[in-house]
Amino acid sequence: MTRFAESTITFPYKRSLGPVVGAFMTALTDKRILGIRNGKDILVPPMEWDPTTGAELAPDFVEVGPVGTVESWTWVPTPSVQHPLQHAFAFALIRLDGATTPLLHAVDGGSSERMVEGLRVAPRWRGTRVGRIDDIICFVMGEVPETDGGDTGAAQEPVQRMDYHASITYRNPVPAATDRAVVASRNRRLLGLRCPRCERVYAGGKGYCPVDAVELGPECEVDLPTVGTITNFAIVTPVSYPGQTETEPFVRAFVLLDGTDVVIGYSPVIELPADEVRVGQRVAAVWASPAEEHDQEGGMGGAWGSLLGWMPNGEPDIDDPDLVNRIF
Amino acid sequence: MAQRTAVIGVGQTYHRSKREDVSIAGLVREAAQRALEDAQMDWADIDAVVIGKAPDMFEGVVMPELYLAPALGAVGKPMIRVHTAGSVGGSTALVAAHLVASGTHERVLTVAFEKQSDSDAMWALSIPQPFSAPLLAGAGGYFAPIIRAYMRRSGAPDHIGIMVAVKDRKQALKNPYAHLHIEDISFEMVRDSIMLWDPVRYLETCPSSDGAAAMVLASEAVADRSSSGTPPAWIHGMAMRSEPTMFAGRDQVNPKAGQECAADVYRQAGITEPRREIDVAEVYVPFSWYEPMWLENLGFCAEGDGWKLTDAGATALDGGDIPWNCSGGVLSTNPIGASGMLRFLEAAMQVRGQAGEHQVETVRRSLGQAYGGGSQFFAMWVLGADKP
Ligand SMILES: [Zn+2]
Repeated sequence: MTRFAESTITFPYKRSLGPVVGAFMTALTDKRILGIRNGKDILVPPMEWDPTTGAELAPDFVEVGPVGTVESWTWVPTPSVQHPLQHAFAFALIRLDGATTPLLHAVDGGSSERMVEGLRVAPRWRGTRVGRIDDIICFVMGEVPETDGGDTGAAQEPVQRMDYHASITYRNPVPAATDRAVVASRNRRLLGLRCPRCERVYAGGKGYCPVDAVELGPECEVDLPTVGTITNFAIVTPVSYPGQTETEPFVRAFVLLDGTDVVIGYSPVIELPADEVRVGQRVAAVWASPAEEHDQEGGMGGAWGSLLGWMPNGEPDIDDPDLVNRIF
Repeated sequence: MAQRTAVIGVGQTYHRSKREDVSIAGLVREAAQRALEDAQMDWADIDAVVIGKAPDMFEGVVMPELYLAPALGAVGKPMIRVHTAGSVGGSTALVAAHLVASGTHERVLTVAFEKQSDSDAMWALSIPQPFSAPLLAGAGGYFAPIIRAYMRRSGAPDHIGIMVAVKDRKQALKNPYAHLHIEDISFEMVRDSIMLWDPVRYLETCPSSDGAAAMVLASEAVADRSSSGTPPAWIHGMAMRSEPTMFAGRDQVNPKAGQECAADVYRQAGITEPRREIDVAEVYVPFSWYEPMWLENLGFCAEGDGWKLTDAGATALDGGDIPWNCSGGVLSTNPIGASGMLRFLEAAMQVRGQAGEHQVETVRRSLGQAYGGGSQFFAMWVLGADKP
């Protein structure tokens, strides 16, 4: 059975809207819906260009709706947290009065039996509007627009940018080789895999040789030394970005394991200040105590299990001019 | 035998740290419309569109080519999205060129972009991946150890990286499209800037830009008939190569894929001495030390000698015999997805005599190069004023 590990990526994007979608969003804060004239068509939402020819459209905006007619729909019986409504609803193509193209939005239809083509719907506005498409919470049945809660009015300034808080959760299959490497790390063993074709050894449960494109199974496992030499390093001055946890310059070192050609890259160092790290320095693995161990994460990410990083072991430096070239 | 192929139109945006006044489509269309105008064409004249950008994570728009197809007049036409990390702008131009060289299409529009201000590339390149050691350091943290290896193995003095940083920023002052225009750039200013990823200083790295680039590629028949008044830039050679990022024995400083890509392009173009036979080069140098490193990788000198060319001023627009990055390069303008295409486009501008203040006198042949990822993707072309 394949095991899966979840990871979630989030980021607060800022989307710049441009002069046409910006005007549309600005009007939404005033509970008005704008289309743009394209010959005989009125496109809603408005576009900067003719969707069939690519030709630039003049900013000839036309107010449409706010009431419209459902042209087509699909029922969403079990919404996810990212859906516009948290109970069953319809996604519908709604042709607003005066428009020649349909707008995609949610319809709070109660039950799928009540959804029909030709249904008349009106917007339910958010009381506080910021210039996003969900300033319209959804459309409701009938000819009368609604406003949810106290109305705080239109935006004071034209809306130019939109916040977009993206969040995606991935389920990642965990390679069997990774699981074996993590289990071995609990016993302070550093597991490697030797490629039967090129004899290169890979650490960290990689599970394949990128040179020969062959899978490396349990029969390829070897125990690697847990002592090595720093070949190269980066001293990173952290800049702030969402999710950045570092605040002071920190070291990421490359460690060549004794008697092998295995380099473990981007390793944290422990009890080794940034101004003392050197090429040729001798280091030994530092492992998490059983109390510190947790399921997937270690100081070096889940691939290394209980390996937290590397610490000087007191042996004299190795002076070899070729060491610095060993990056990965 | 491939069909003769030429660049007959180029366009780019005025690159800035933030273009909050335009949508992504607006940004891309700005460059594309300039390329069409330069080629004296309209959207309808184009047979196919090839678009490239770096990871979708940079703007949070997944598969932006879907939304951009109508914005680029591609309705009812073939549209291809290319993705090869930082080299993508170059690879995108090459895919477009292949569509013409293969005889499939006569007029292909190619576009590349990045709108970095929508997000933060440092974050996007540091996303924790399950079962991988977290990088937490963006591209600089990745390349710093490779640069240290180059400095030690070549014995290059510390001032070389500073020289390149100053040279490219000075050259950017002659390019109105460049993002960075640092009027008082100086050796001292670069030297005293913060050490961001030891041994790489803040001013030895590229900026974060919003921008787009576009070109129109055409068959010989179309190029011969072109009424634009600007001569075509003919493709004399083009190639892409890749290699795995991590394996024991890989030379990160002088990657084999880059050497072989260059050798392939030179063979096609009949070039045996790049330094003598190429008049100007636009090469992907996002960290200043990559100029001497790529001088060696691209065969402009023997291994270990790249820094000596830089030190002697050989790569300067002012007085050098092989001016590199006259536009200011990636060090002055970095809309990541477009950065590779800007190298290819600037190479075309030099051959066509369109480069204005940063034009090199009498360019018969130029080189455009882009690399990406952990130096694992390479794309190059050689352009010439004469038909190949
Ligand atoms: Zn192998």
